[in-house]
This record gives sequence, structure tokens and C-alpha cells, in this order.
Amino acid sequence: MKKVYLYATCLGTAAMQESVLNSVKLLRREGVEVIFKKNQTCCSQPSFNSGYFKESKNIALYNINLFEKDYPIVVPSGSCAGMMSHDYLELFKDDNNFERVKEFSSRVIELSQYLDEVLNVNYEDKGEPIKVTWHSNCHALRIQKSIQASKNLIKRLKNVELIDLEYEEECCGFGGTFSVKESEISNAMAREKIKNIQKTGAKYLISGDGGCLMNIAGTMSKMGLDIKGVHLYDFLVKRLEGVKI
Amino acid sequence: MSEQHKLPHEQIVKIKLNDEQMRENLSNAMHTLQKNRLKLIDEKFNDWQGLRERAKQAKNNALMSLNERLLEFEKNATKNGIQVHWASSDEDACEIIYELMREKNISKILKGKSMASEEIGLNHYLENKGLKAVETDLGELILQLNGETPVHIVVPAIHKNRYEIGEIFKDKLGSELESEPEKLNAIARKHLRDEFEGLKMGLSGVNFAMSEEGAFWLIENEGNGRMCTTASDIHVALCGIEKVMQSFEDAATMVHLLTPSATGQFIPTYNNIITGPRKNGDLDGPKEVHVILFDHHRSDMLAHEDYYEALRCIRCGACMNFCPVYDKIGGHTYQTVYPGPIGEVISPNIFGIDHTGDILNFCSLCGRCSEVCPVKIPLADLIRKLRSNKVGQGKNPPLGANMLHHNAAEAFAFRNFEKIATSGNLWRFSLSKAHYFNWFIQSFKNTLPVVKKWSQFKDLPQIKKNLYKELENIEGVSCE
Repeated sequence: MKKVYLYATCLGTAAMQESVLNSVKLLRREGVEVIFKKNQTCCSQPSFNSGYFKESKNIALYNINLFEKDYPIVVPSGSCAGMMSHDYLELFKDDNNFERVKEFSSRVIELSQYLDEVLNVNYEDKGEPIKVTWHSNCHALRIQKSIQASKNLIKRLKNVELIDLEYEEECCGFGGTFSVKESEISNAMAREKIKNIQKTGAKYLISGDGGCLMNIAGTMSKMGLDIKGVHLYDFLVKRLEGVKI
Repeated sequence: MSEQHKLPHEQIVKIKLNDEQMRENLSNAMHTLQKNRLKLIDEKFNDWQGLRERAKQAKNNALMSLNERLLEFEKNATKNGIQVHWASSDEDACEIIYELMREKNISKILKGKSMASEEIGLNHYLENKGLKAVETDLGELILQLNGETPVHIVVPAIHKNRYEIGEIFKDKLGSELESEPEKLNAIARKHLRDEFEGLKMGLSGVNFAMSEEGAFWLIENEGNGRMCTTASDIHVALCGIEKVMQSFEDAATMVHLLTPSATGQFIPTYNNIITGPRKNGDLDGPKEVHVILFDHHRSDMLAHEDYYEALRCIRCGACMNFCPVYDKIGGHTYQTVYPGPIGEVISPNIFGIDHTGDILNFCSLCGRCSEVCPVKIPLADLIRKLRSNKVGQGKNPPLGANMLHHNAAEAFAFRNFEKIATSGNLWRFSLSKAHYFNWFIQSFKNTLPVVKKWSQFKDLPQIKKNLYKELENIEGVSCE
């Protein structure tokens, strides 16, 4: 029996609980036992990216102490996974705790990588034929490198047509505190992204990142568009259960 | 650098974001440059990543032995008949040029494209002394006529389309109103031919200097730069000390990366390798060649444990061509000589983080700049480190850090964030109190009108579930 920690992420515990529950469902349907540390909080990316390294290190150490046993730490977000598997190493480069951090980081894996690469899941698509497009989260793409795994999961769904998004590799403007500190530039970036999403003709935008989705879908909703942003793990569960999206 | 006209950060952002023509021009141009680069790398290179690694090593080797390289360059260049000058500051560099002009009784120089001359504020300096510097690079010429600074380090007038350029030529040069590129070129050519006549002193930058050869390499596409370096009696080259490398082979590696990264060209139209002044029997070339090796805080950067990496920069502009922020706001919004991701790293180091630290906000840390940089400068990491220096953390802060005013409210907010994020009880307590991202709102309410700023453009997600309770009811899930 496989046993993993689930790292829900701060957005997951605060705003996107549905996606966390669906992530659990996807692991459970493969028979994986899930340990949920109820004292888990945030990976520290907001403070890290704002330059508050001292605070970030303390939060990182808190996480390292909390997820102490030798189980994989599965994260339903490339951004937070990239932070913990890669950026923690940078943060602790010259620190006495480096070896401990390295051990922790080596156990971090993004959920789609776990499903695709470790479990090699079999998916039966029970949904109607549908066209979707995909947004790549920057950290998932360039740091955690989990985008291919995410797309592989969608490709296992036989009734889903994945339409390429032009300029897919361009940031949507979320960037955590960036979207607050430079809200107008962030909005310009989101609008650009949405222009390209509209060009695909798809009515659903799938992404594996809560922050980007909140940014893009929140803007689309404010604009009154009839394109829906759906989290990858919500999407997968709905397709596997044959529930309307 | 004309910092006296700086606008407040938020104001300049607003102005430039609302310049729809500029944004359209930039978006089109940047996407073309991106496509050209990707296509070329795909079609012409077997081992682009290997080449990047080699370039990084070559440049690091040169930087790690820079003292030796510079002395070797001086020795060999002098042997070749090149006169080598040393300048520690921007002002020193300007003064050397001014003194040369005064000594030879020259009142006007013609310039090839050089960001180094922008960095030291040469045009302005000379103008204050009653002397004139005329730009010959087409893009620079357009900007000089229009009283603007470069918007990009490789393609300085890329924010202007051909119709706008036609208007500028009509207004400033009194030409017919044209918009065809060939006709615009012809107008610029005629204007510059008149300027080149009787040219006494030409100025250029330096792309790469080779210490073993005592020579330097200049690349360009238009040929005007070559006019400045060969048609004049005196050629003065401005060279930041980090441009000096060891061998011809090392420099060749760089040139192989530079044009593909910059414009998607396999090779530049002109490669000029300058080994000295006109020799006996030569039919042309300047009678004197001067090189000014200037520091301007590069030594400080070299001594830094992290920021030295930015000295590898070969000024290809790929980072800005691929930056999703740069093409929305354009280079002028940075209000410093070097814009885009590389500008965010070198401008604070060269001009002081107290003067230019605000541009560190122009980055969502998407990491695309680090990905495309041909010499593997970890730009996003360095921007993050500079942010850390800006808030008063981090070792070995850059120039001007002691003059910074720290945002006490933000620092307090992040200490508060740390407190909540290192306590499961506090975390759940704050989640239970608000519907969305409570810590975020709580933490920043003294600093930024977060909710207002966010909801100005976006709807917020709604919470429907009690996560902890639902998790406990799932079989096979243990909540510890």
C-alpha cells in the first residue's frame, strides 16, 4: 500500500478546498493512503518572492519539521511544489540545515507527476465530447517541470480535445504579490492571456495552478465572458465520474 | 542619465500602460523576435545548450581573472598602436572623450550604437560643454531627433512604427511624409551622408575585447557603425571592463550566441575586428584608435557573491524580448538606462538601488528571462535577491542600499505572516475568520488596499466547504 502526505497549499486550505478534496479523491481511487497534516500552512512563497528570506526560512523549517516521516509529499500545485523541491535548496544554500532541507525537498512531487509518472494511472472518460485549452503555470513549467505530466493526464481522456493556447509560455500576471503590487500591469497581462484563450474557441480553461486560475478566471468573470476556468484536479474527477462541468 | 525628470512609479506605469500604440508595436515586435530566435535555434544549432554552457564558462573565466585580462589587453593593444585609457567613473569616461575633442579641436562626433555611452550620459555631458554628438544608428537617430532615450538595448526605437517614424522625419528633417521602409531609409541615409562628410572623430561601443590579441570585436547590421570607426581620423571605443575576454575563440563563442538571441539572425551583417589604427600602406582606417576601459561600479559587482553573474551579460536583449512585463510597459517605464530583466539587475548595481530599486517590482518572477539568457544569468533569482536587499535583508547589499527607506508596514506584515504560517492553530483560526485568503488581507491591510486592488479587475472565488471536516470523513485519509 502506498502512503503519501498531501500538501494542500495555502490557497487550497483558504480558497480552493474543492480542488484539495478532489486531489484526495484521485489518490484514493488508486488505492493510495493519504496523510493530511492538519497543522500545515503555506510553503512561504509570498514572503520568499517579496525578498523576506528570514521569515521564509522559518516557515520552511516549520514545514520540514511537520512532514517528518519518509513519505512522498504530494502537492496539487506546480508552483508550491517547485518552491519546496527547488527554491528551498537555494534559500538554504549556505545554511547548517541544508542536508535536512535537501532530504525534504527530494520527497516533494507535484500531484500530476505522481499520477502520471509514478502510478501511471488508467483513466476512463465518462464525460461528453468537449474542447478545452490549457494554461501553463510558470513555476510548474520552468521550475517543477510538471506541465508534461499534467497534459499527459488530460490526454488520457478520450472525449477531451486539448486545443493549443497561443503564447502558452507567457505569464498570466498572477505572480503572487506581483498581482497586488502591480495590479494594473498584472491586469494587462491577464487580458492578453484571455485574448488568446478566446481565440482557441474553447469554453473551458484548464490549469493546474490555483493562483493563475483565480487570476484568469476572476478576470474573465469580471469581463462577463462565458469561459470557465477549471482546476485540473476538479476537471479530472468530473470526467471520471461523468459529472457535468 | 537624466534622472532629474523621473516620474513617480505609479504615474509612469499608468501613462505607458495607456499608450495603446506603443503596446501594440512592442507586442508585435517582441513576438516576431521570439519566433525568429526559436526558429533559428531549432534549424541551425545542434547543441545550443552546450554552447550556452561554454559561453558561461568562458565569460566566468575572464571575470575570475579580470585584473590579469585587463592588463594583458592594455599591453597587447598598446603594442598594436591602440591608446588605452582608464576611467573609474561615468564622469571620468566622459571627461576623457571631452579632453580628446578639446585637444584635437573637434566640436562634433558621430556615434555608432553604444549603450555604454548612454550609461555614462555622454551626449548630455558634451552638450553641456557646447559640443555635439550625432547618432548614426537608425534607431538612435530617430530617438535623438525626437528627444527620446532608447526603449530597448538592441532595438532602441522598436516602440515606434513606420508611420510614426515618417512623421518624425517630416517634422525634424523637413522631408516628405513617407511610411515605406525603403523611403525612410533613404531619408536617413541622405541626412547621415551629409554628417559623415569631413568626419573627424567617431565613437563606438565594444562588443567583445580579446586580451591575447589586444583587439576588439564590433558587430552591427547597418554599416553606419563601421563608418564611424573607419571613415574618421580618430576612433574612440567605449568599453566596460567586463567586455574583456581572453581569446579570439572565446569571443567567437559569444558572437555565435549574440545575434541569434538578439534578433534571430544567424550572423550579423557586419563583423568588425579592430586591431589598431591605419598602418603604413593601408588605404583607409583612422589614424588614431583609443579605447576607454571604464569601471563604473563593475568592480563592486564583481566582488559580490551573487550579482557578479550579471557581468556575463552580452547585451543581446533576449530577456526583454521574452519578458511579459516589458512588452506591456516598454523600456521607458523603467526610467533607467537598462530596462527589462537585465536592467532590473544591473541598474540598481550601477546607479544605486536607492535610485532604481522601484523597478524590481516589474517582475512576476515567471523565470522566462533566466530560461532564454544565452549566458545563463539566473536573472529571476537575482531579482529576488535584490528585493531581499531592498527590504534590508540579505548579505552584501548593492550600491545605495544604505540610503533606502524600508517599508516598515510591509516588514511588519511579513513578520505577521511568518507567525501565522508557523502555527497550525493560528492558521486555521485566521482561515475561519474570513472567506478568502484571510492572512493576506489581514497582513497587508496596513500596507496596501489589497482587496480593492484585486477586485478592481477580478472577481474573488467563494468558499463553500469545510475542508478539515470533510477530510476526516474520507476513508483512507488520516488527519494527524
